[in-house]
Amino acid sequence: MKHIAFAVIGALAAAGVHAQEVYPGRPLTMIVPFPPGGVADITGRPTAAALEKILKQPVSVANRPGAGGAVGNAAVANAKPDGYTLLMALSSISVIPEADKLFDRKPAYSLDQLAPVALISADPVILVVHPSLPVKTLKEVIALARKQPGELSFSSSGVYGALHMPMEMFLHAAKLKMRHVPTTGGGPAITQLLGGHVTMTVGGPAAISSHVKAGKLRTIVSWGAERHPNYPEVPTFKEQGYDIVYYIWAGLFVPAATPAPVVKVLREATRQAVADPDFKSQMAKLNSPVQYLDAPEFAKYLDADAKRLAAVVKIVGKVGG
Amino acid sequence: MQETFNSLMMGFSVAFQPQVLMYAFFGCIIGTLVGMMPGLGPLAGISLLLPATFGLNPIVAIVLLAGVYYGAMYGGSTTSILMRIPGEAASVMTCVDGYAMTQQGRAGPALAIAAIGSFFAGTVGVVGLMLLAPTLADFALRFGPPEYTALLLMGLFVLAYMSGGSMLKTLAMAVLGLLLGMIGIDVMSGYTRFSFDIVELGDGVGIVPVAVGLFGISEILLTAGQAEPPRVQQPTMRQLIPSREDLRLSVGPIMRGSLLGFMIGIIPGSAHIISSFVSYGIERRLSKHPERFGKGAIEGVAGPESANNAAATGAFVPMLALGIPTSPVTAVMIAAIMVHGILPGPMLIQQQPDLFWGFVASMYVGNVVLLVLNLPMVGLFVNLLRIPYAYLYPCILAFCILGCYSVSNSMIDVWIMLGMGGIGYGLRKFGFDLAPVALGLVLGPMLELSLRQSLAMSGGSYGIFLVRPIAVVMLVLGLLLLALALKPLLFKSKDWRSKVGLDDQTG
Repeated sequence: MKHIAFAVIGALAAAGVHAQEVYPGRPLTMIVPFPPGGVADITGRPTAAALEKILKQPVSVANRPGAGGAVGNAAVANAKPDGYTLLMALSSISVIPEADKLFDRKPAYSLDQLAPVALISADPVILVVHPSLPVKTLKEVIALARKQPGELSFSSSGVYGALHMPMEMFLHAAKLKMRHVPTTGGGPAITQLLGGHVTMTVGGPAAISSHVKAGKLRTIVSWGAERHPNYPEVPTFKEQGYDIVYYIWAGLFVPAATPAPVVKVLREATRQAVADPDFKSQMAKLNSPVQYLDAPEFAKYLDADAKRLAAVVKIVGKVGG
Repeated sequence: MQETFNSLMMGFSVAFQPQVLMYAFFGCIIGTLVGMMPGLGPLAGISLLLPATFGLNPIVAIVLLAGVYYGAMYGGSTTSILMRIPGEAASVMTCVDGYAMTQQGRAGPALAIAAIGSFFAGTVGVVGLMLLAPTLADFALRFGPPEYTALLLMGLFVLAYMSGGSMLKTLAMAVLGLLLGMIGIDVMSGYTRFSFDIVELGDGVGIVPVAVGLFGISEILLTAGQAEPPRVQQPTMRQLIPSREDLRLSVGPIMRGSLLGFMIGIIPGSAHIISSFVSYGIERRLSKHPERFGKGAIEGVAGPESANNAAATGAFVPMLALGIPTSPVTAVMIAAIMVHGILPGPMLIQQQPDLFWGFVASMYVGNVVLLVLNLPMVGLFVNLLRIPYAYLYPCILAFCILGCYSVSNSMIDVWIMLGMGGIGYGLRKFGFDLAPVALGLVLGPMLELSLRQSLAMSGGSYGIFLVRPIAVVMLVLGLLLLALALKPLLFKSKDWRSKVGLDDQTG
């Protein structure tokens, strides 16, 4: 009897050691570092639902908002690296540690504490102006800004936010100066422009679409590598001779020390999840384009993106004094 | 008009579908329960419920969430009145006089008036929403940062009318609130202020943990310090019903509160929180017996409760008419309909008439449901007070901690709440009034943001406040209010403050 008991305990212990054989053996948590209803949240929930079907374990979504995503990102960066805590992060993940450096703050986390699993979605942003402004093309915007240096203004989702970075890229590339009116999110940024309190802003394709259709906003140029399928008439910066690209993306991460076999299970599960018909239809309804990249390609993408954004943070830091 | 009527009838045909009706009912019940959880307010309620709506059709989803929203607005007032625990920021003012009424054994009338006021305000809000949404929405957009700054300054001047105690103590508390509001990331530079390397403080100190701590926890501590426990109340049926006098006193505050709340509510942003503070200030100013405020004046419950409910409805105007998420709550609601492939925007009313009118009609239904649900429940809620304090307070404390934690799964919020409880206890021992702290904390960050946005717009020139008509009108009104409030201070003439003495110390 005693022997059997030992054997059972031994087998359990062995199973514990060879975690890859049983992973996932209990429910997973996906941390979303933003409040419900934001891009990370509405990308995270369908992803979690699709993963659930494949991993045969519940994947619950927990919102840990705060400090522009820093709180939730840091929570996962410091979580137990066992594969049971996932992170659905946005492109700001690389900006936060850079901004911390700029201000000599104790960094909330560093990027190498997190390992990329897969890129889920990516969407370029688009420059929009108030329709009363007598400009229709990028050239005219730049000409107007040159004529009135420091007089035009733009609203953003907040300093160093997802909508501030692309604008600074543009201003730096075209050597322009404008007034920056930061707000508390993408919605308020658009509201400021709709009310005519600023001259222009940057918006996600989904967020601006109804206003553009109703003629309340005018599109100028996109930060995409190519033209956006929903806005075939909007040219890209690249076409206009500026080498600037910016996407707001959402990707899945785990703590960096997560064992490779566990990461492999998650990568495989995510690959299947993005092909899930329910997931696809859910993302299509949200106007959120699925842009899947597996871990190695995503790591390369992330690296390039982080370098680009770090450069912008430095530029802004100098300008802001 | 005829067209509106026909559309509304179409809306009612949607709202009266058994399924929609059922979800409206559910929403109101869940909302009321969520609102009664200390710390959990409307935003937390609809955020937690949002994922559950993804499988529903969009009309049902939005009706359910709207039910939770105004259910929670109402539920928040229940705990404020019975236990002095604000479920959300807008209920802070209700705590003051509502709880004072409870201590006098008049919890029943307070709850009933809150329910009636909410019902009336909700209905006024829906009528306004229905008739004026497109017109008002365009007007609301003209509220840019300078106008917002002027509005918030007016809110700050209301401070002068808020407290019965010494003006110096009131101002000191307001400054404490404003200082607390300074914590967090600087909006213009990204620099972190007073965060002591605690990442969670980057967003600043939340109003909910502070309000629950200052008002609720401090009350528990004060009671625990009494030599003998307060007597358990045994309200009779008669005491539950508001008297004729109560109703007479409440009519004016409810009407004014509803109008004021709706006007403030439609302005994009989170200004609706200040509507209850402003309403309280106005009622106190207009009252013939301002000295009763803070000691259980029913007007102090009727006005702010109506104002916050009307503001809640008003906030739907820009959301539905323009499709812009103007506050965190409406942002979540927009997400709820976006997951169904409906893009909210200026064309929503034309493109999705059954959604808009079904929503409007369901709000009428929801308001009636809330009234029917809550008036009979007043007796039940009041019975909570029969529980001896030795059992009641530990439970409340546990719920406060749970509620505070669950809003953003943050332990820091719990520590803030407990710390504020201790500070609140100390301040009340020294006779400081705590409502100004809450107002300061709510106003501080919003005022700073809008002031600095305005200056960013103008390139640093304060002239921007003088060239924009709406801003100018509001600033002049605000200065007049301030002058009126300062008059007795400057000329040392006798006002009601000195008549009643400065010894009104209960907060």
